[in-house]
Order: sequence, then C-alpha cells, then structure tokens
Amino acid sequence: MSTVDSSAKRSALAPLGKPFAIAGGVLAIVAALLPWVTFSLNDGNWPDKSTLQFFDAPFLVTGFRWHLLVLGVLVLIAAFAPIPSRGRVVRALGWGVALVSFVNAAYITVKGGGLGAITALDGATAFGGVVGIVAGVLVILAGYGIGVEPVQDWNVKVSTPVAYLVLLVSFGAVLYAVAAMLTTGGVGTANPYAGAIFLSFLGFAAGLLAALSGVGFVRWLSALSEQHRVFSVIVLAACALLLPFTEAGNEYWMTVAANIGIYAATAIGLNIVVGLAGLLDLGYVAFMGIGALVAANFSGAATAHFGITLPFPVAAVIAAIVAGIFGAVVGSPTLRVRGDYLAIVTLAFGEIFTRSAQNNIGGITNGSNAIPGIPALSLFGAEFNRSISIGAVKLPAGVLYYILIVLLVAATMAVFANLKFSRIGRAWIAIREDEDAARAMGIRTGKMKILAFLIGAMLAGLAGAVFAHKNGTVSYESFKFLESVTLLAAVILGGMGSIPGAVLGAALLFVLPEKLRDFEEYRLMIFGLALILIMRFRPQGLIPDRHRRAELANEDVGGAPVDEVHVGPKEAKA
Amino acid sequence: MSVLLQQLANGVIQGALIALIALGYTMVYGIIQLINFAHGEVFMVASYGGLATFTLLPDDLKKSPAVALPLMFVGGIVVAVVVAVIMERFAYRPLRGAPRLAPLITALGVSVFLQEAVRVWYPNATSNLPYPKVFPEGNLTLGSVNIAWTGVLLVALSVGLSVILQTYINKSRMGRAMRATAQDPDTAKLMGVNPDRVIVLTFIIGAVLAGVAGVMFGGYLNNINIDMGFQNGIFAFTAAVLGGVGSIRGAVIGAFIIGLIKTLSGQYMPGGTQYDYVWIFVVLILVLVFRPQGLFGEPERVRA
Repeated sequence: MSTVDSSAKRSALAPLGKPFAIAGGVLAIVAALLPWVTFSLNDGNWPDKSTLQFFDAPFLVTGFRWHLLVLGVLVLIAAFAPIPSRGRVVRALGWGVALVSFVNAAYITVKGGGLGAITALDGATAFGGVVGIVAGVLVILAGYGIGVEPVQDWNVKVSTPVAYLVLLVSFGAVLYAVAAMLTTGGVGTANPYAGAIFLSFLGFAAGLLAALSGVGFVRWLSALSEQHRVFSVIVLAACALLLPFTEAGNEYWMTVAANIGIYAATAIGLNIVVGLAGLLDLGYVAFMGIGALVAANFSGAATAHFGITLPFPVAAVIAAIVAGIFGAVVGSPTLRVRGDYLAIVTLAFGEIFTRSAQNNIGGITNGSNAIPGIPALSLFGAEFNRSISIGAVKLPAGVLYYILIVLLVAATMAVFANLKFSRIGRAWIAIREDEDAARAMGIRTGKMKILAFLIGAMLAGLAGAVFAHKNGTVSYESFKFLESVTLLAAVILGGMGSIPGAVLGAALLFVLPEKLRDFEEYRLMIFGLALILIMRFRPQGLIPDRHRRAELANEDVGGAPVDEVHVGPKEAKA
Repeated sequence: MSVLLQQLANGVIQGALIALIALGYTMVYGIIQLINFAHGEVFMVASYGGLATFTLLPDDLKKSPAVALPLMFVGGIVVAVVVAVIMERFAYRPLRGAPRLAPLITALGVSVFLQEAVRVWYPNATSNLPYPKVFPEGNLTLGSVNIAWTGVLLVALSVGLSVILQTYINKSRMGRAMRATAQDPDTAKLMGVNPDRVIVLTFIIGAVLAGVAGVMFGGYLNNINIDMGFQNGIFAFTAAVLGGVGSIRGAVIGAFIIGLIKTLSGQYMPGGTQYDYVWIFVVLILVLVFRPQGLFGEPERVRA
C-alpha cells in the first residue's frame, strides 16, 4: 500500500502531510482509550482490559493500549517539533501504530469468529482496532506527504562523561527491551494470547526503533560507541550478565537465551565466511555438528565411542581444532571454485556430513539413536544445570550455562571485531568486493579464503561443543541443511558483516518460533517467504554494515542514497 | 552379471528422470546465470499437481487410464508452469542486476516456501502418498533383466523431449533469441530480442519438463513425498554441472552418468545404498574442483 507509486503519491499528499499526521496521532490516542472487543472471547478476556465488560478504567491504559498511546503522542510531537527527517520518523511511527492495531484486531477477529468482535455486536460497540488501523494508515501517508528524506548525521559533540552516561542509559534501555521482549506473553503456552501480545510488542518496538533510527539517533549512538569502544563493550557485557536479574530470570528464559546465544555465536562465525569474505557457505552447520560430536565423544557419555573422558576445556579446544581442519578441507576448493559453484560445493559437504552421521560412520555418531546422556558441566562442584545462590540472591537453574554462553558470544565477537579491522579482515573484504583486484594488490587470495573457512569453522566447532553439553544429546538431526539455511538467514536478516546484526538475526529467528506457537505449522513457510522478501526489499539487512549497505542498497558509504532505496528495487527495464 | 545388467537398466531409468529435471537447471543457468534452487521443488509440486488432478477426476474417468494419464500430465505441467512463472515474476525478476548471492538466497527461500506450502496445504502430505495405478503395468523382460514399462516410457519421454528441445533451440526463431540472450543480453536486446519474454519462456520450458518428470516419478516409484524435490533437484544440478552448465546435450549425458553412479555405487561401493547419495556429492565436488566447465562445456562457458 505504501510502495506502489510513491513519487506520484508524494506530490498529491504533500499539502496533507501535517493534517494527516495530526489526525492520525489523535486517532491513535483515541484508539488507545477505546474498547477493542465487544465480548469476552472463548480463551478469556483480551489482555489489558480492552474487552467491553472489563473496560472499567479507560484512562488507565496498559500493554498494547499504552504502546498505542505512546506512539500517538510521539506522532503529535513529531508533527509539530522541528526534528530532522521528519517524514521518515512519522512514517516509522505510523508503521508502529498500524502494526500494533492490525495484530490485535486480526487476532481478535480470528479468535472471536468474525468482524463483529472488533466492531459492533448486539448493541455493544468496540471500535478500537478499526480506529487504530485507520490512524496507522493516515500517519504512514502523512510520512510520505511530508517527504521521506535520507537520514541526517548529527554533529553533536559531547564530553566523555556525558557520552558515558548516554551509552549507559542506552544499553540499559536495550537490556530492558530484551527482557521485556523475552517475557511478554509469559512462559510457553501459559497465556492463550501470548503470540498476539508478543507480535504487538514487536510492532511497537520496531516502530519506535525505526523512528529513532530515522531521526539519526541510532547512527549517532553507534558512532559514539565506536569512539568509546572499550567502555561500550564493558557496559554491554555487564548488561548481558545482568539479564538473569531481570524478569527474564527464570529457568525457561535462561534456557531460551542460552540456545539463542549458541546460535548467535555460530552465526557470527558464519558471518566471517559469508559477510566478510563473501563466500556463501550452505553447509556451515556441519562444523557445529562436528564440534558437538567431538565434545560428546570425549564427554564420558555412555555411548561415547572413545573410552576417554576429557575435561570440557580440553574437549572444546579439540572440537574447535577438528572442526577447523574440516573447515580448511571444505574451504580448499575455493582455490579453484568461485561464487555460486562454491556454494554448491559447501552444500555437498554439508549433505555428506549429514548422510555419514545418519549412517553412524565409524561408530562415532551413533546414527539416529544420537548420543544421549552427556553430563552437564560443573565448576568447583557447581553443576551448570542447577540453580545457584550468591549470598541472598537465588539465581535460576541454567544461569551458569547462560553466563558461559554470554562469554562465548563475547569471545566470538571479539575475534570477529579484531579480525574485521585487521589486515586479514581488510583482505577478506577486498576479496569479497573484487577478487581479481585483490590479487593484483598482492593479497594471497587462496590462503585468505581458506583462513576464513578455518576460523569460521573453529568458532562453530566451539559453539557445537557447548551445545553438546548444554542440551545433553547430540543427534545428526540438529545439523541438517535447514539449520544451515536458518543460520544463513540469521546472518542475512541481521545484516551481512555486522556483529550486532548477526546477534539480532539469530535472536529473532530462534525466539520467534518459541513465541509463535500458534503459527508453528507455518513457521518454515513464513521463514522461506521472509528470505524472499528480505532479499527483495532490504538486502542489506536490519543492521547493515556500512560497506555492505553501500554495495547492496545503492547507498554511498556515508549512507546517503545513490538512488531512493525505499521506492523498491529498480526493475530491469526492457 | 545379471545383477550388473539390472543395475545398469535401473541407472538408465534414474538418469532419464534426472535428465528431465537437469534440463531446467541448465537452461535457466545458461540464460541468467542463476542456480534456480527451487527447480527441484517445481518438479515436486508438479507431481502433487498430477495427483490432485487424478483425485479431482470423476470416478468413471479414473478407471480408464487412456484418459486419466494424459489429464494427469496436463495437470502436473500446468501446476509446474504456473508456479515457475509466478516465481520468476515475483522472486527473481526484481533481483536482476543485484549481486550474485541475492537471487541464490531468494531461490533457497522459494524452495523452502514451496516445500512447506505443499506440506501444510496438501491433504496428508506429511506422509508418503500413493500414486494412482493408471500407468502401464508389468515388465519388459530382456533375458534376465526386468524393466518396468513405466521405466521404458520414462526413458522414451526423456530422450524424445531432449531431442525436441535441442532442435527447437537450434532451429526456431525463439531458440535463436535464447541463444543470443545467453551469449550477450545487451546486444540481443539491441537486436530486438525481448529478454523478459526469453527468460519467462526458459522457465516455462523447464517447468514443462519438470512437470513430465514429476508425474513419471510418481508412476515409476508408486509414491511421492515432499522431500523428493530437494533430493532429485540436487542430483539434477549435479548432472547439469557434470555435463557442462548451459549445454543441453551435456545435461542429458551427465544425468545418465549420475543415474548410473547412483545405482552402481549403491550396489558395489562400501556402505551400499545408504551411501549412494554421498558418492554423487563426491563426484559433484570433484567435477566442480577439477573441471568446473563440465564434460561438454568450454572453459569460457557456452550457454544453451
């Protein structure tokens, strides 16, 4: 609805920009104060007292109605305040309003069995959803009317203490947002409306974040954290370690967060191969599998093939080395094979791994019976899967695993960041951009490409070793082609070559299924569709790396569009 | 000896099936240098399309194979063509001129999407579905070798269609346009060739062949499942690369070689049929590493 013909629409909408924004903002606030459901649904009242019978205090809004109220007020502020790239901000807020309203209205309609639930039924009226959607559309149109200009750079210089404070507050907000995102909707299937609550929250967060990014704040903040790199890393690590003390601090969410962490670490490793060196690897998860199998076989589990039990750090190092050797072997065809042919070679290696593991090759994989009963890690007598108490604070079970995995992710991030800004990293980027030119500049391309595979595989092997102990079972089923594609999708969704991107991508792709059990059946289908849509509309990913953005979205390195990005990709004109 | 002959026959039939799919890969790659990963799923969708056509037929028509079988082919081909055209128009065409990896990733997405769409929406697609018995039954017996009539039909269709395709591309006006676009899209455009039409036609031809393959697969193996697209797609891709991507003759010969490798390695190599899949990948890797232009391609790739 927004991208069809924006140049024509903009001229027609230009005088309407501000009035639409004001009307939309007011309507969003009104929608927040209106009832949303005419009757109580079968699964219970719609959350946040939006069901008519329970609509006793209209001005006491919580949950999604509070989000809507906030967005509406922000739209009004944006309409009047002299802020940079106002159209972009207004449009982002509009999408937030529209998404929140649409998610809730759609869920209510489906669960309530028809449009009567969100309009009028038996003399009762509840127009919150309709008003909200109208408000969202109006605000989006207002954004186009005002004009979507490129994001501007802020030239605000601040002193070091102020910068520290800004970073501290921002990362604190990130921690809060992560905890809220994990816990919205409650644990598992306890709340029948968990999916709706979560999606609605996601819509709100996305709208707000896009608005912050549109106004230039995100870019300024990342520049700031780049300046004070050490401080930001410390604060970020502290924030991650503080997660168990927030509302997300129970066994369930610790397990989910730990799993996300393992995949995030693997995704960062894949990001070296795909994002930096530009070598598409479709069998990457095999290295994680190799690492997991090595660790499992040295763990002392009953079905382990070797009769040796090694302490975890030793086993993890061996796992990383073995995976790295395989990585170098898989990478060796890169000396002769390029581009999409290379992708097929890696896919073939991945399939050979799956097949061999399935058939219990050499007796080390135990085939489809898997290797169960891998003992949990322990340190100074504290088992990692038990809960621990520090003084008076009792921490949930699994928290030690979580901390271990946060350290793992931090270590992979450090490896990635150091490599990226080193001579090796620059060589990789040069190879990605133009292999022949890189070779002409004296880069030994073959060696560099194999190195990328080797390091990527080692990181995956390390993550695999942790995976084995964390889950207690290793089966080839966890390392099939689809997992490789999922990891690749995480890297692409987050933004190739960008560290926060890989973490965000992994988090989204591995949290969403946890949250959207209603759509479990459609999970992979939506996932395939998402791959297509990302490549079509935002190939640079959610948090793009600067050079990647320049390459994929026709922007120059500073971020100014060479060609308007959001009009939709150029079609090949016949 | 009789085991060897039997496996050779089986390998040729497998090869005929793979050839029909491989042609789609090789033609699309020849024209737009895209590994259309989703082509295997087009083949799978066609198989389900044929089955659905049969299910929708009135009962008295189901009993007469002479009517039901052609209708199933038509149904399978129509479904395949519709899917391929939609895929080209909405997934690949917007990405023309994008970096090479973008359409490849899109193709992965299309592949996952199609497979899941069939799994979720086709009734009972989560398990193997039996294919109707409308195909010629019984075996052709040559000495000690038994060949199912469906296998004979498969080989005949495969070879026949490849010859027709080769002739079409070499002799017809549109075939000339395809060869021109493959060699140099810009110059072809200057000469009045509409690249969009050529590309759509390429996808359609690939889909028709995949449609035939999909229905014949069901007839030969008697049941179908949603994984068949991915597996056979990989085999077909291997065949296309082995023969030299872009070359029609190469794809067909490559396919027969792959079919023979599959059955013979399953029989004679250590590990048996559990590892036949692995040997094909080993061949794929060796070909890509040591002769990426394939058996019939020239170092500077010649395209269909």
